Amino acid sequence: MSDTERTRGQVYSIRGGRNGPPPDEAPRRLAAIVAADIAGYSRLMGMDEEGTHARIKRHRRELVEPTIAEHHGKLVKYTGDGFLAMFDSPVEAVRCAVVIQQSMIGRNASLPRDQHILYRIGVHLGDVIVEPDDVYGEGVNIAARLEGIANPGDVFISGGIYEQIKNKLVCAYQALGDRQVKNITDPISVYRVLPDPSALMKARKGRRVAMIALGVVMIAALGSAIGLFLWARQQLLVAYPVPPAAEVPKTAQAPPPAAPASAPPAQPAAAPIVTPPPANAPAATPKAAAVPDAPSTGANAPIAPLKLPAMVSLPGGTFVMGSNDDSSEKPTHRVTIKPFAISKFPITNQEWRQCVSARACDYAPVGNDDAPVANVSWNDAKQFVEWLSKVGQKNYRLPSEAEWEYAARGNTQTKYWWGDQFQSDMADCKGCGAAYDSTQPAKVGSFKSNPFGLHDMGGNIDQWVEDCWHKDYQGAPADGSAWIDKTCAARVIRSGSWKNGTNYVRPGSRDYYDTGVRYPTHGLRVAGPP
Amino acid sequence: MHIARMAGAVIMVLLSAAPASPQGKPAPDDAYLYFVWPQDGTVIRGGFWCRFGLRNMGVTHAGDEFPNSGHHHLLIDVNDPLDPNEAIPQDKNHLHFGAGQTEARVELPPGKHTLQLVLGDAKHFPFKPPVVSKKITVTVK
Repeated sequence: MSDTERTRGQVYSIRGGRNGPPPDEAPRRLAAIVAADIAGYSRLMGMDEEGTHARIKRHRRELVEPTIAEHHGKLVKYTGDGFLAMFDSPVEAVRCAVVIQQSMIGRNASLPRDQHILYRIGVHLGDVIVEPDDVYGEGVNIAARLEGIANPGDVFISGGIYEQIKNKLVCAYQALGDRQVKNITDPISVYRVLPDPSALMKARKGRRVAMIALGVVMIAALGSAIGLFLWARQQLLVAYPVPPAAEVPKTAQAPPPAAPASAPPAQPAAAPIVTPPPANAPAATPKAAAVPDAPSTGANAPIAPLKLPAMVSLPGGTFVMGSNDDSSEKPTHRVTIKPFAISKFPITNQEWRQCVSARACDYAPVGNDDAPVANVSWNDAKQFVEWLSKVGQKNYRLPSEAEWEYAARGNTQTKYWWGDQFQSDMADCKGCGAAYDSTQPAKVGSFKSNPFGLHDMGGNIDQWVEDCWHKDYQGAPADGSAWIDKTCAARVIRSGSWKNGTNYVRPGSRDYYDTGVRYPTHGLRVAGPP
Repeated sequence: MHIARMAGAVIMVLLSAAPASPQGKPAPDDAYLYFVWPQDGTVIRGGFWCRFGLRNMGVTHAGDEFPNSGHHHLLIDVNDPLDPNEAIPQDKNHLHFGAGQTEARVELPPGKHTLQLVLGDAKHFPFKPPVVSKKITVTVK
């Protein structure tokens, strides 16, 4: 645990730089502690033990863990019905708490009120003792007490957190004054976080609750009325069966009248788990080589040989990276690239499906075999290169941003690789020329290759690279390596897609996107050893 | 007043009569998307934090198929009408917040700019009816 070690090191130096750790002393550090639990947990469990447990586990996997990771926090542990997390930054801690609460609103929306799972969350900034799998100290206790007094669905923060975030995170804060909490000597100033500032007004009027209750009753009444009507109609229609197409969805939406309390909770229709794993989560990679993709090759086809992407080896060299066409591309700077290889085309659906068949890639693409794979997140792309390295017995990876631009320029320094003037039919983009399908990318290699023999280096499909996003090149490395920070929420995409305009086709053009999010115009190409 | 209301009703009818899109996830009628900050007409010096407000719906990650929730998209200087049957574009004028962000640091060149929020579903499609904020104009000094 590097964080822990770093803190330890600082502690020793304060103590006079003596070598060796003081025995039996865990490191202390300042941290923003988030404590959460579920309001009415026992009631929910009493009502439907298995269903509630399954839902809570799903929330942990799909919401709590990824949200903490996205906000650079650390999940310390799960408590019976809640969790404890630790953050370096109070802003991130509160943001994380707000995102969890807001996401829960959406998840509860389709369920009857008595099945709502509502978290109570407390956040406190305090000095804590960090052990490998737990944290201790008054800071933790206070966070837990704040959680205990929070209303279901609310985030309560201490004065210490409030002072840190009041000007940074625009939420409304309702001061609740100093509160005395159990087993803590001094009173704590408590604030309630209102993610929506206008809620402050509403918070003072209690009318909404009554309105919502009335609404629920009315919907239920309407639902049962429609249900009754349809039931009666169905009885009548047995002799003359006409499919009542229009009405069916309506009944499905209305809550079932008088459902028994012990019925399993009406989960939102089994949505596929599309939240990709965090970037550094080990992908479930197979031991053996790729299993052939039976559906695409036909039922009795022989085992298809592994198809590796065609690679082009590039010589090393020095080039000027960037341009003055956009502020993100400044300043132009010299970069030296070592020899490497890059795929001749973007990765195709066919190439990607081998990874899906081998159960090493989570995302199953749609579309023609020779079209570039699309709708993949950066995390998905990493799964692919990891699998490819295993089966290809070579270190395949995403190119660095510098390598991508070097390859795209192909020893030219002009605005486009073919010159400074725009020319039609050189790339696949909106406004790039006549042969254009606005609904999908062109099959790879439909357009002329650049001087390095590479296709679609600009247009057709956006391509992930390894680098974290930086808004310009101030401080960029000059050795062609990927520019990586300790954590980064967004990564660089290059090339522009068939949906973008001509400006995005330029080899210098750059953009970014959230690491874990899929978008239909995002694909990749791979790099490897020369 | 009445005319405006009727026009609104007509637009609603037209929208609901549009051909069914692959997405078109329903949004509650009272869903309200707005800018907490800046407000229409704000004059700003340099970069700023843009804060997104949403009522009666929840914010979630892109890819999460939960009813009544979506993620924010910030449209900067976009004049093209929103296509309800297509994913919200992704480029330098359409910023996506698929990690569930409710605020963003925005840096714009000096001059007048328009800002508008659009809520997108799991696959970045607009809801039906579309959940969009008022288009506001800010001036960057």
